[in-house]
Amino acid sequence: MQPFDYIVPHNFAEASALLMAGNDDTRPLLGGTDLLIRVRGGFIRPERIIDLKQLPGMCDIVRSAEGWLVIGAACTMNQVAGHPLVRQEYELLAQACESVASYQLRNRATVGGNCCNASPAADSAPALYCLEAVMEAYGPSGVRRIPIHEFFTGPRCNALRPGEFLTGIHLPPVPSRSAGAFNKLGRTKIGDISIVSVAVWAEAGSRKLEAGGQSKHPERVDGATRTAADGQSKDAERLTWRIAIGAAGPTPLRAPEAEAALAEDASPEGVARAAQLAAEAARPIDDIRASAAYRRGMVAVLARRGVNSVLARLGAAPSVVGGQP
Amino acid sequence: MNQSSIGRSLPRNDAPAKVTGRALYPGDIGRPGMLHMATLFAGRPHARIVGLDTAAAGAAAGVVAVLTAADVPVNEYGLQIKDQPVLVGPVSGKAGADVVRFVGDQVALVIAETEAQARAALRLIRVEWEDLPLVLAPEQAMQPGATQLHPHCADNIAYSYRIRKGDLNAGFGAADVVVEGVYRTPVQEHAYLQPEAGVAYIDEAGRITVEVAGQWTHADRKAIAHALDLPVEQVRVIYPAIGGAFGGREDMSVQITLALAAWRLAQRGVRRPVKTVWSREESIIGHGKRHAMTIHTRWGARRDGRLTAAEVRVVADGGAYMYTSDKVLGNTTLTCTGPYEIPHVAVDACAVYTNNVPGAAFRGFGGPQGHFAAESQMDRLAEALGMDPVELRLRNVLTDEKLLTTGTPIPGGVGLTETIIAAATAAGWTQDVAGHWQRPQTEWNADDADQTDGYDQTDNHNNHDHQRHQRSIASSIRRGIGFAAGFKNVGFSFGYQENSYARVELRGESEIEEATVYIAGADVGQGHHTVMAQAAAEALGIPFERVRMVTSDTARMGDAGSASASRLTYMAGNAVRGAAEAALARWRNEDRPATAEHVFLAPKTTRLDHDGQGLPNFAYGYVAQACQVAVDMDTGEVHVERFISADDVGKALNPQQVTGQIEGAVVQALGYALMEDWRTRDGQVLTNRLSTYLIPTVLDIPARLDPVIVEVPDPNGPWGARGMAEMPYLPAAAAVCAAVYDATRVRFTEFPLTSERVWRGLHEPTG
Ligand SMILES: Cc1cc2nc3c(=O)[nH]c(=O)nc-3n(C[C@H](O)[C@H](O)[C@H](O)COP(=O)(O)OP(=O)(O)OC[C@H]3O[C@@H](n4cnc5c(N)ncnc54)[C@H](O)[C@@H]3O)c2cc1C
Repeated sequence: MQPFDYIVPHNFAEASALLMAGNDDTRPLLGGTDLLIRVRGGFIRPERIIDLKQLPGMCDIVRSAEGWLVIGAACTMNQVAGHPLVRQEYELLAQACESVASYQLRNRATVGGNCCNASPAADSAPALYCLEAVMEAYGPSGVRRIPIHEFFTGPRCNALRPGEFLTGIHLPPVPSRSAGAFNKLGRTKIGDISIVSVAVWAEAGSRKLEAGGQSKHPERVDGATRTAADGQSKDAERLTWRIAIGAAGPTPLRAPEAEAALAEDASPEGVARAAQLAAEAARPIDDIRASAAYRRGMVAVLARRGVNSVLARLGAAPSVVGGQP
Repeated sequence: MNQSSIGRSLPRNDAPAKVTGRALYPGDIGRPGMLHMATLFAGRPHARIVGLDTAAAGAAAGVVAVLTAADVPVNEYGLQIKDQPVLVGPVSGKAGADVVRFVGDQVALVIAETEAQARAALRLIRVEWEDLPLVLAPEQAMQPGATQLHPHCADNIAYSYRIRKGDLNAGFGAADVVVEGVYRTPVQEHAYLQPEAGVAYIDEAGRITVEVAGQWTHADRKAIAHALDLPVEQVRVIYPAIGGAFGGREDMSVQITLALAAWRLAQRGVRRPVKTVWSREESIIGHGKRHAMTIHTRWGARRDGRLTAAEVRVVADGGAYMYTSDKVLGNTTLTCTGPYEIPHVAVDACAVYTNNVPGAAFRGFGGPQGHFAAESQMDRLAEALGMDPVELRLRNVLTDEKLLTTGTPIPGGVGLTETIIAAATAAGWTQDVAGHWQRPQTEWNADDADQTDGYDQTDNHNNHDHQRHQRSIASSIRRGIGFAAGFKNVGFSFGYQENSYARVELRGESEIEEATVYIAGADVGQGHHTVMAQAAAEALGIPFERVRMVTSDTARMGDAGSASASRLTYMAGNAVRGAAEAALARWRNEDRPATAEHVFLAPKTTRLDHDGQGLPNFAYGYVAQACQVAVDMDTGEVHVERFISADDVGKALNPQQVTGQIEGAVVQALGYALMEDWRTRDGQVLTNRLSTYLIPTVLDIPARLDPVIVEVPDPNGPWGARGMAEMPYLPAAAAVCAAVYDATRVRFTEFPLTSERVWRGLHEPTG
């Protein structure tokens, strides 16, 4: 492995300056589970590696004043998956983080690194797409916020500019009545990169993203007053659905037609149709792990399973804990 | 007073050093003043080297020497025939040694002060290539007019076998049912933990010494001596701890090149040790693989289940060089008709040169391929006849009295019937009042309606939808069971006079205080040195703890033979037993120390004649397996839920080691059957790392894996032991495919059963 200098910057400005000065021969480091493998394989030959983990807030998970959940870029998969707020409100993200590799690797691999690496197969990404995460970067011109779907720009490409680095992932508040499901297929049960993955999310009501990535405070629906038996179809009519697909396109992809169709019809036939629409939204390729045809087929299967699971969870949960303290 | 030392799960004598990290594997060894060697691999599957310029590399920082074909005195290597250049280059005494025939051919060696310098200098070597046409498909390589790959072989057919027994037409004429199939088996990578590595130096006696991980010290020594044109006494091979082998270390990797480096440097007055460690990527392209084979086969049987005829055509991809293709193919030739007596048989088998990574030895040695075809045919026949698969096998199975396809009986003690019954019984098969075997009905073939998958039916109302969802996944699961059996030779065969050397030295005064066993056999992780200590203790009647092992050093002991062909316990066990008994006789004669050596010679075998008739082997091992799979009909995922492997080991000298071998072989065989997906394009290996070439993880192995030890003594094995380490591999892929068929009614004749392959099979019922 080619030797490199390992640098721990003291503050954000210094980190940004180092990255700016270095260009391509300087790389940010979090857990290193992608970066060091690429260095060892000789795919990249950086001269300097800037370890960003020690910068303030990078390893913290906090609730912002506006009620958003802010996950530091250097939080490990295990840290995110085990965090009580994540488990209660953004359990979809916990499922995704928990699906990554092995327990040992998840002690090292970070959510920020997963996104910055920008593999189409990054397992946390479909969940973050469904949750409409906003990525926060620090750079020469200060802090910048980037909606997740603009952050991923292509295989191994992200929207960060020279001198910029990811500092955190911001998740808008979610209504108490919401649920998600993450399913993936790999060739082994642990440790393989996904052949394909699908995250499904549904929440009561609707909200819109404004320009700049700021979300309106969502309309809250109190699930606690409802029982599962009454009016499930009425509720289903008022659900907003999001479906995101991993490893079946140059970036993770949303499946808007499928989402819209589900909002209209979540009957078993509607679910089957939406699953088909999700498969049509995929843009898979043939590679060593699977063919495009198999990937497309599996998007439909995983989307159907995900939607059914979400329907079951919403129907089954009489008291989803409220999002805000 | 003394407890017997055999038949007990005594702790491994190599365990303390391996557990504490004291044991050194070749990659861990360092010596003062050591230099580092890096290897330039061809990276092209078929090309002539017309120019090779190493000047820049030789002048690079830290570089001490660059070696090429011109530096190899006798530039050839091969266990069976010497068809591979040690280094490929334009200036060489050997015809055809200027042509690379697969991506892993070695072209040049750089020796430098550091590994980084050696690797950096590799990039400065200028090679002028003339690409040659690629020969990749064995069927095409055999056609007239195909590009010839070796000067000595006009038709690219590296080796072939032919068996003619009985009258095939009469056999098919007597058949009530005939089943026919074409089976394709994949390449498999050994994926041992420790990539190739070693250190070479000139020892105090002036010998070129190589410390390396191999499978046969004395064969390595011979190959090195041949290439360096030296007497074998001037070469010494030592094995430190070995990180797995599975056949992949039978052929030379770094042995000759390391010796060459140390020797050429010494000639230039540089007497410094040289070390090399291959990366995983180099290891994967650099050593041979399990042969891919295509097997066309047609079998007939009478209504009562008796097999009448089998016709088989085998084409094996031998890859670029012979390695042990001839022997592997011999084994496929014997096993492609299964462990059954068939009166009328015709087998035609050939191994073909191509520009793929060479087919080489791999646990099972041609047996897994032959058995996949044979046992799949048996499953088809059972279905066509409406007969239970266990029953069908028991009607045809080889016994002491029956003849192999080679027209000779198996040397006595055939434990197949016992083994099949043991596996079937463990899996829940029963015999009805008429004595007919019945597959398990309840526990194993639970149908979906009975599967609650852990969801309590009495759960409260709110969970109803959740349950329904879980059941909608569960309802995509189909379960099935499969059964298969197998047999394989122990030891080297086809006329080779099998032999194994051991020496035993006894010290003490009135009683034996210490017995030292000198044995060259390689402990590749299977526990060989422990079992040899048990054998010595047993023969001497002393406690196991008093036996000291001196192992795997050609300067200190004779040739014990290879750690392959499931042979070491049998062959070296007999050698140690013989040496111990002879030493004990001298001890009783008051010799102090009392020393004796013994060369065990196995019963003779013969080459096969023109019709494939003869006595190919002197001993065999037997296996029968049953498994249950769950297939996800939506995704094609196959999960082996339970696996039973019954193995006739003759006598389990160390039951824990036997169990370990069964479990290890089954897991490796399930990787072969389900997951390991070797991919190439235009002769380039696409799966050259363990992130693309996947082997089973701990979560991929069956939740239940039950080894069943059967002990039908071998007449000539030590204390009745027969070889066993390959046998659990043989029928596993066939058992899994039978179970998948049972679950899905789709018959897979090609594997690995990746989820995509199964999904395609389920969606395209024709194929
Ligand atoms: C055996 C194994 C199994 C794996 N299995 C999975 C899996 O199942 N699912 C999955 O999704 N991934 C998997 N991965 C990939 C990897 O572990 C994850 O992508 C991980 O989340 C990366 O995080 P990291 O902290 O290690 O990133 P790093 O390697 O530290 O960084 C990743 C990339 O992002 C850049 N970078 C790091 N920090 C920043 C920053 N703050 N701003 C800008 N750029 C930055 C780095 O320069 C690098 O290019 C696996 C990896 C291995 C080795």
